[in-house]
Amino acid sequence: MAPSLLHPPSQLSPAAALQLSQQAPAVLQNSPSTVSKSPFSALFSASETPELWIKYENLLLSCLRTGDELAAKQCLERLVARFGDGNERIMAFKGLVKEADAQHNGELETVLKEYEQILRDNDTNIPITKRRIALLRSMGRVPDAVSALVQLLDFSPTDAEAWSELADLYLSQGMYPQAIYAMEEVLILAPNAWSVHARLGEILLMAATAPGAAGASYQKYMAEALKRFSRSIELCDDYLRGYYGLKLVTTKLLKESAKLAKQAEEDGLVLPDTNTIERLNELATAKLSEIIRHSTAQDRGWRGYDQGEVAVARELLSEDSSAASRIER
Amino acid sequence: MAQVPVQTIHRDPQLFYWILFPITAVMILTGVLRHYATVLMASAAKKLDQKTMREQRSLLHGINVRGNSHALSKRSFTARRDALITAYESGAYLKDPERRGQAPPNPMSDPSSMEGMMGMMKNQMAMIIPNTLIMSWINAFFSGYVIMKLPFPLTIKFKSMLQAGVATKDMDPRWMSSISWYFLCIFGLQPVFNFLLGSDNAASQMAQQMGGMAPNAGQMFGPGVDPDKQFLAEAENLAVIEHYSVLDGVEQRLLEGIKV
Amino acid sequence: MSSERELQISPIVQEAVMNNSKTLYNLQSLTASLFGVGAGILGLESYSGFLFYVVCSLLTTMLFYVLRVAPTSLPSGKAAFDASRYFRSQFEFWTGGLMNGLAGFILTWTLFYGLVRA
Repeated sequence: MAPSLLHPPSQLSPAAALQLSQQAPAVLQNSPSTVSKSPFSALFSASETPELWIKYENLLLSCLRTGDELAAKQCLERLVARFGDGNERIMAFKGLVKEADAQHNGELETVLKEYEQILRDNDTNIPITKRRIALLRSMGRVPDAVSALVQLLDFSPTDAEAWSELADLYLSQGMYPQAIYAMEEVLILAPNAWSVHARLGEILLMAATAPGAAGASYQKYMAEALKRFSRSIELCDDYLRGYYGLKLVTTKLLKESAKLAKQAEEDGLVLPDTNTIERLNELATAKLSEIIRHSTAQDRGWRGYDQGEVAVARELLSEDSSAASRIER
Repeated sequence: MAQVPVQTIHRDPQLFYWILFPITAVMILTGVLRHYATVLMASAAKKLDQKTMREQRSLLHGINVRGNSHALSKRSFTARRDALITAYESGAYLKDPERRGQAPPNPMSDPSSMEGMMGMMKNQMAMIIPNTLIMSWINAFFSGYVIMKLPFPLTIKFKSMLQAGVATKDMDPRWMSSISWYFLCIFGLQPVFNFLLGSDNAASQMAQQMGGMAPNAGQMFGPGVDPDKQFLAEAENLAVIEHYSVLDGVEQRLLEGIKV
Repeated sequence: MSSERELQISPIVQEAVMNNSKTLYNLQSLTASLFGVGAGILGLESYSGFLFYVVCSLLTTMLFYVLRVAPTSLPSGKAAFDASRYFRSQFEFWTGGLMNGLAGFILTWTLFYGLVRA
């Protein structure tokens, strides 16, 4: 899939981001530099569309990422000319460019101070709040970032982006139960997001394999991880990460099936019986190899997979088969 | 039965140029004007202070938990439900907790709520004023002309409506006056506006009238609504929900559903 | 309850459904106006005019089905003339066009009938 300027570039690979930012001169030249506010000239010039501004925003992000600060500043100038200095979104972009310009930590501190000043004047400026949190995080002050996020989520608990950032922060600190809680909040806001289901499954799996977890809580985590991965596949067939996680969980469970205690819990998260786990494992293996085969052959309709993810899946499968052959011998 | 002879009326072709086209053009242009006027007059989303935002979004959060509870496991849902119910009932999310239990302020005295009403008024005005203006304009200039013949027969009852201003007893009700062309335009120009302005335009009066009837989201936090009562109602809704998780039996569904 | 559960297990994305029906609505209202032009120029009167409209709008929906819906809905195991892969209600898909475009049809029909037969 070719990268498009109409989608936010946060998930792109470095190569794709570079490709986008190399379009900058063409885009900057071809689009009108300013859209006049006078209604009479607006009648005769090309009409402005929301897509144009989305393009500028994404181009700005890509350019900053690839170090083309000149083009980024041009984009910013046009955005400011259109929406004014006071727009919350634009303020966040301005801060972002300043952050990119900063040479050392002292300058970043200045930017941080500016953010705090803005927030003192207007404490519901969510884009700036988020920028401040991201800056705190990138400066390594994770506890501050967490407390700022918790504060943001206290007055705006319907912000899925903030919840998932919080989950990520907690996860980076190894606080699994908190990360799981935050991820569940994301699911409340987007109950059909299969990627979030799979991500929650991954966090649960990490929580289960962390050194602290043992006995009943281990089984509970594994059971829920299994179910989360299954749900993500149910929502999106051919979801590579979902199958990968399912394969991991079931393989692990099968290895330990002897020492798993029978549990009878009332909250509905019981591990399925060994037979079901085995069948799930087979399903995941078959589907993974199918995805790998089609994706390597570049078949029609199978091209969207990330090459890195496919490679990892292949590794997992070959490990698995070598282990199986060892047992047979 | 003798066939009723088809009435023919000789009309000056100039009628078309001086009545039909002006009315149609004016109708289309008013639609376009109304669209842009609405866009211009749309007041920017009102700035909320942190406390108000917290109050509103906390309530929305509760509604989301209730609506999407199926995505959670039973244990997480119960924990959330208990926490939310306690918070709602104790009024932890209220903007000013000490004013709890008092009657809500009169919406007329609150300047911020007046603004919302003004917005509604403005929309109504944008609809009513052009219509009255155009109708009186047509009545003043073009009444008394018969301009067109409908291609389908109508019963005699339509006569008074279609031929307003034309006092001819025996004329076939298919003949129509300029005012009835105006009405046809009101109903029939919708596709034209769709084509000109994009499909979610503000020119269509029908859509606006529909929108006026449906309760919109803005009213939920509108003036005169006691947030404490809303919170208590939501707590009750949460308490009675019968929880079901999509995770129950998902493996079985998966094994049955997906064929490799 | 069971149908609600089914909906939660295999959800329907509201935005996509809205987008689909909006596309269909735009197509129908625009073609209805064009059919009005046709009927007016042909000089159709009363029943034959309405019949023309019904036949033409059904034909539009049919074409829409054959060109846009059928290529993906037939392989996914739906029966022929079943548009439920993209639209909520069958009835609405096949007959909604008649209602949506009627006002526009009458307007252009009257206009062009009047212009041609003046």
